[in-house]
Amino acid sequence: MKNTTPAPSVQLLLAAAAFIVFGGCAAETMSQKGVAVSAVPEVSQAMLTAAGSQSQNWLHTNGDYSQLRYYPGGQITTGNVGKLRVKFVVQTEVVESMETAPIVVDGTMYLTTAYNHVYAVDADTGKERWHHKHKMGPVTTFCCGPNNRGVAIAGGRLFMGTLDAKLVALDAKTGERLWEVQIADPEKGYSETMAPTVVEDKVLVGTNGGEYGIRGFVKAFAAADGKLLWTFYTIPEKGHEGVWAVNDATGRNMKRDIAAEKARLAKDSSFWQRLGGGVWMNPAVDLTARALWFVVGNPSPDLYGAERPGDNLYTNSLVAVSLDTGTLKCHFQYIAHDVWDLDAVSPPILVDVKDQAGKMIPGVIHGGKTGHIYVHDRSNCNLVRFSEAMIPQENMWVLPTAAGARMLPGANGGVEWSPMSFDPTTRLAIALNLHQPMTYHVEAAEYPGGSKLWLGGAFKVIPTEKQWGRVAAVDIDTGKVVWRHDTEQPLIGGGLATAGGLYFFGEGNGSFNALDSKTGKKLWSFNCGAGANAMPISYMVGGKQHIAMGCGGNTQIDYKRGNSVFVFTVD
Amino acid sequence: MQFALAALAIVAAQAAWGQDVEAGRQKAEPCLACHGPNGNSTVPLFPILAGQTARYIYLQLKDFQEGRRQEPQMDPFVAKLSREDMFDLAAFFAAQKPRPTPFKPDAEKAARGEKKAAETLCTMCHLKGFMGQNEIPRVASQHYEYIVKQMRDFKAGKRTNDAGNMASVSKTLSDGDIDDLGHYLAGLY
Repeated sequence: MKNTTPAPSVQLLLAAAAFIVFGGCAAETMSQKGVAVSAVPEVSQAMLTAAGSQSQNWLHTNGDYSQLRYYPGGQITTGNVGKLRVKFVVQTEVVESMETAPIVVDGTMYLTTAYNHVYAVDADTGKERWHHKHKMGPVTTFCCGPNNRGVAIAGGRLFMGTLDAKLVALDAKTGERLWEVQIADPEKGYSETMAPTVVEDKVLVGTNGGEYGIRGFVKAFAAADGKLLWTFYTIPEKGHEGVWAVNDATGRNMKRDIAAEKARLAKDSSFWQRLGGGVWMNPAVDLTARALWFVVGNPSPDLYGAERPGDNLYTNSLVAVSLDTGTLKCHFQYIAHDVWDLDAVSPPILVDVKDQAGKMIPGVIHGGKTGHIYVHDRSNCNLVRFSEAMIPQENMWVLPTAAGARMLPGANGGVEWSPMSFDPTTRLAIALNLHQPMTYHVEAAEYPGGSKLWLGGAFKVIPTEKQWGRVAAVDIDTGKVVWRHDTEQPLIGGGLATAGGLYFFGEGNGSFNALDSKTGKKLWSFNCGAGANAMPISYMVGGKQHIAMGCGGNTQIDYKRGNSVFVFTVD
Repeated sequence: MQFALAALAIVAAQAAWGQDVEAGRQKAEPCLACHGPNGNSTVPLFPILAGQTARYIYLQLKDFQEGRRQEPQMDPFVAKLSREDMFDLAAFFAAQKPRPTPFKPDAEKAARGEKKAAETLCTMCHLKGFMGQNEIPRVASQHYEYIVKQMRDFKAGKRTNDAGNMASVSKTLSDGDIDDLGHYLAGLY
């Protein structure tokens, strides 16, 4: 049991932040109630590699290296889910947007909150074992809420990215910090909200900052000591102008003035250093191919494209790099020279897919903010097919104007960071969608130095048009939507498919639901009192299947805030 | 990615590099004549600084000093400030408690303002309750007159240190909308 006294200056600071209810954000405090994690968890590479074929633990943010978000345990089924009841609730001290996917190992759950608190709790009772508060640096710069999406585990260590752009390693037994490294400069707009991915003692992490004029990247650090092993920059110094694509991935004209762009590029090509390209979510890992697949976010500034001519590679793209060296293997760009922020965020999933000749090949799929699910050949990133639109599309690709141009989807559209699930038994990809009609406004704006939000315009919702959400299940071999389940509010957060024939997801109004994953029919619902916008997981303890979901609301869509993780079992 | 609009930042004012509230208290003496006791200004055209985010205050001081934000009355006060002075001042004002103003919002206007704020997605950046975060200012319970003047200045291109975001947003607002928003925001506490 160890208690570190917060620095006195912290209090001050807190007053500043007091409106946002979170405690002790600036202090590195360690509090332990109850007992430390009883045994040192030893999560081997073999366990991490085989995570998707066991139902005891939840070892990766998205379930396994393929990122299926499919739980192979089937105790909770379509037949008994009606009896799903709350077993316990973990109340954290942070009332803010919650996006965490808890990690569960041998009866201990590790969860995070906004502002980088980490809790270890007994996964059977919810009893707290330790609580770690990251000591936040004096400068943070981040878009979209003070979020954190969880830790990664390997060996006996946890790894977390922080809002002040650090990577931290903690002792999983005690919560004590083992090492900390600065990933990038928060004064230049870098921050971390994603959970890292660990593979073969490499800790992989991307970056936020596409709204601040960063140069995006994925970096690999040594799990032992945080030493930087390699960096892949999502913006190449040369060649970011690409092929001057006229159409998007689905063949629609993007109304670019390519002659003007070329003239502009001839005058100045230095903008690559601030061209954005954040990587918000985990890479998928194929150990056989020794490669990673991830998607890259929007160029900076979001809406004003005049000063960043060219395709802006590799923004809005699926990218594959070598696991060992970080060198590029292939890429596929969905929207060249994006001026709508309809970028690529939801983590890719590795599955076999049917190619155009009907042959099964290793593939990779991604759910886009455009509302399409894109199906790719894993060997070369080429597009095999795209699904029918899961949400309405209108007036694509009208250019933003000062007065505002209406286009669907709005910038909070289609599949946001929300990870999809893939159910291998039905071959359905299940995606959470937003429908939030907006107008797109452009405003010329010079690079403000990294310290200020840099959108080059604004988005506004259209008050007379209804907003809603949609769960869509897509047959990835045909691209057809097989079922839809509509909700009153736009959907943001994760989903989870299970071998019990269920699909779990949450809504901004607090409803946490189970659908029949074959039909989309709602079978169970529970209201947790704050936006159910985190990522559900499942695990076994004491021979029983448990479902866990964080309910803390969401900053981006302004859903009611809370501070709790709910855990359910069937009695 | 994430939609862009949100920005936020937090500033945890802490002891690191000179963000010293006590030092800031001393250095803030000359500010209080206009900005009021502990930054709770009583003159509606001078903004309330108590409880403002430290990063916003720091960036505004820097912008005044370097000419990105124009306000002749501020010039003599910022001319000689060092970076450390700015951090200390920011930490001090951020740590103070804002007090309610005597402003009585018109309920009908405030209701319209709330609706307009939702449509304009203000809280994606200004956060829940307009409490601000990082470089995005707290606007809740600010003086009505100050809020309206800033929005009009953004719209007219008189204030331009916002990286274009507020310029873009304010062009979609009528004078009536700005008035409604002023009533809504000044009444938030």
